[in-house]
Amino acid sequence: MKGLAKGLAYTIRNMSKENVSYSYPDEPMPMPDRFRGIQKFYPEKCIVCNQCVNICPTDCIQLTGKKHPDPNRKGKIIETYDINFEICILCDLCTEVCPTEAIVMTNNFELADYSRDEHFKDLRWLDENDTHIREEN
Amino acid sequence: MIRTEEMLLNVGPQHPSTHGVFRLVVKVDGEIIKEATPVIGYLHRGTEKLAEDLQYTQIIPYTDRMDYLSAMTNNYVICHAVETLMDLEVPERAEYLRIIAMELGRIASHLVWYGTYLMDIGTTSPFLYAFREREMIINLLNELCGARLTFNYMRIGGVKWDAPEGWIDKVREFIPYMREQLDGYHEFVTGNEIFLNRVKGVGQYTQEEAIQYSLSGANLRCTGIAYDLRKAEPYSIYHRFEFDIPVGETGDAWARYQCRMAEMAESLKILEQAVEQFPEDGKIMGKVPRIIKPPKGEVYVRIESPRGEIGCYIASEGKKTPYRLKFRRPSFYNLQILPKLLEGENMANLIAILGGVDIVLGEVDG
Amino acid sequence: MTEEQDHQSNQNQEKDTVDPKAKDNIEEAKEQPADNPLNEESPEKITTPSDQQSSTKKERSTDTKSEPSPTEQSQTEKSKSDKPKSEHTKRPRKKHTKKDQPPEKKEPSPNQPILDHYVKIINKNLSKDAIDDAFVNRSSKELPTIVATPKYYFSIAKLLRDHEELQFHFLSDIHGIDYESHMEIYAYLYSMSRNQSVALKVKLDRENPAISSLAPLWKGASWPENEAYDLLGISFENHPDLKRILLGEDWEGYPLRKDYEPYDVEV
Repeated sequence: MKGLAKGLAYTIRNMSKENVSYSYPDEPMPMPDRFRGIQKFYPEKCIVCNQCVNICPTDCIQLTGKKHPDPNRKGKIIETYDINFEICILCDLCTEVCPTEAIVMTNNFELADYSRDEHFKDLRWLDENDTHIREEN
Repeated sequence: MIRTEEMLLNVGPQHPSTHGVFRLVVKVDGEIIKEATPVIGYLHRGTEKLAEDLQYTQIIPYTDRMDYLSAMTNNYVICHAVETLMDLEVPERAEYLRIIAMELGRIASHLVWYGTYLMDIGTTSPFLYAFREREMIINLLNELCGARLTFNYMRIGGVKWDAPEGWIDKVREFIPYMREQLDGYHEFVTGNEIFLNRVKGVGQYTQEEAIQYSLSGANLRCTGIAYDLRKAEPYSIYHRFEFDIPVGETGDAWARYQCRMAEMAESLKILEQAVEQFPEDGKIMGKVPRIIKPPKGEVYVRIESPRGEIGCYIASEGKKTPYRLKFRRPSFYNLQILPKLLEGENMANLIAILGGVDIVLGEVDG
Repeated sequence: MTEEQDHQSNQNQEKDTVDPKAKDNIEEAKEQPADNPLNEESPEKITTPSDQQSSTKKERSTDTKSEPSPTEQSQTEKSKSDKPKSEHTKRPRKKHTKKDQPPEKKEPSPNQPILDHYVKIINKNLSKDAIDDAFVNRSSKELPTIVATPKYYFSIAKLLRDHEELQFHFLSDIHGIDYESHMEIYAYLYSMSRNQSVALKVKLDRENPAISSLAPLWKGASWPENEAYDLLGISFENHPDLKRILLGEDWEGYPLRKDYEPYDVEV
């Protein structure tokens, strides 16, 4: 019975300790700066180089580009940019290869929705997702 | 005399004590197990097939999802395989970061095992304490690489992030705290008579049987074989650290418990030395070609994961994608001994034995 | 968006390349990080000097066939380091793939005598034709590798385990590989007492892949062999319980075969 008593003493000692659990849905949960959450997309920075599409391990990014409206400028600008969050695994590789940092991670991670279609995020949604943007990239 | 008859009992696939989707068809006679047949494959995602169409960097996030309790070692094994094949050098600072991350992961993984194992056999409070400490490790790793479980931290030739400001100090502070908690766990559980009755002499096997069944990790060391790849075939910079290989003697669930608890203390020793020796500055990424194309050839490397020996085989044709990629998944091998251990045991011991083997179903099914 | 533009962007995606115009834009916008580790599919033009340096290193290690003399070797090494980087990178590829070799590759492997010893024991105890091929796998930590003939595969494995000078008691891994021309079994054995490893391979006929099972020797080989049966369709003779362990008995085809066509009723 000695072991049992010792264990009980440990429990009693822990009772006076501070509460460590999170009250998450009631209070927002702060994440460290590097946290990989839903991407933020800057359409004006994108040069349509397709590198994020190529590196994506789950093929969840789709994009199309068009010619620059200003005839004197070379290159292309982005027209549509979609990420399918049903299959995106937030692995960070797209932000890592982006040469212009047109796509960066944010600390937002709440993706629950009532319909699967809601998980299909387009350019506008990703552009407006501009809170808690990761500083270090 | 009570008359009994044989019946088939289905444990799982959604049984909470199987820690995943694992089914066990048990033939029982009264309370005694006559035969047990494991049925696996519910979580098979075909990682090896998918990898044949992926570049090496793209495979790393997939490895996170095999043994999701210690994704760092999985990250390491694929990077190590490619680095060995390409003969790449990893900078010292990156090696230290890798080791600190892996050893933190090992402690976190064993903490999950400790908590859930005791919950399986009937005591809920150790789970709460273990997860309190595990949460601190997860937060440390979250600060380092931006994810709580699926780290995707290592890259071929180095690591993705350098340690953030003050992170090493946080690890340094965590070590004595964790030591104190470990002593607490021993005080709390190790001497408990009920616990001892549940685990002593349960699921016992000999050294010869352990080797016959290709067991590794604590499942092998509990029989008294001091076999740890960190010592036997030192990879990375493990030769720089002083630590012991904890071994059991009896080869039962009790010995496995003692081994894993002692392994956490050994990991703390390694961590302590690693943060002490941690280089002031340096690169975190070696000289790596832009496009990773290992030369034609094949390579098999193995390292010590919390669950045992995890191996990675790559057959390369000199292309950007592997021709064949194969993971030697320790849980898959360790689980094979289960039918033998369960035969003739009491039904109530089923969970004590299954939990003692410490499997992760994501790894079993690959 | 006009039709022409649409067409162009589609083409981009199909080719998996960067638009040549977009490339200029990249350089304007941001310098590439010098040691970006990612193997993204971008044209080599945008690599920085340090990248090119490392890519030559890669080429050097790729070539393992030609063996230059030691003097030649040191000369090329020396002249290379003297030259400025820009000139060095302009050199045509062929020239340095032939000569630039890591010097350590020239010496015979330190494990060559060990392998020779194994081969001797096997030849002595079994037969001269038991071994198809034996070599040291330099890229896999100097691993002695033995390719057995199918007939002697089981007896070689047994000898490796039981012979007192070999003592490979621990089976670390066993799996199959589909090399379109043939199938292969790769087993990795380890000796705890001698701290040595050996790889045992055997080549199988692809049309009808069958080989004796190692499960009678190592019970731990049972499930991995089931996995090879399940995913590659290799059947193992004398296996105690051969079944499709991961996919289930009603699965059609063998996914890890290179010619596998996914078959799904619902799609």
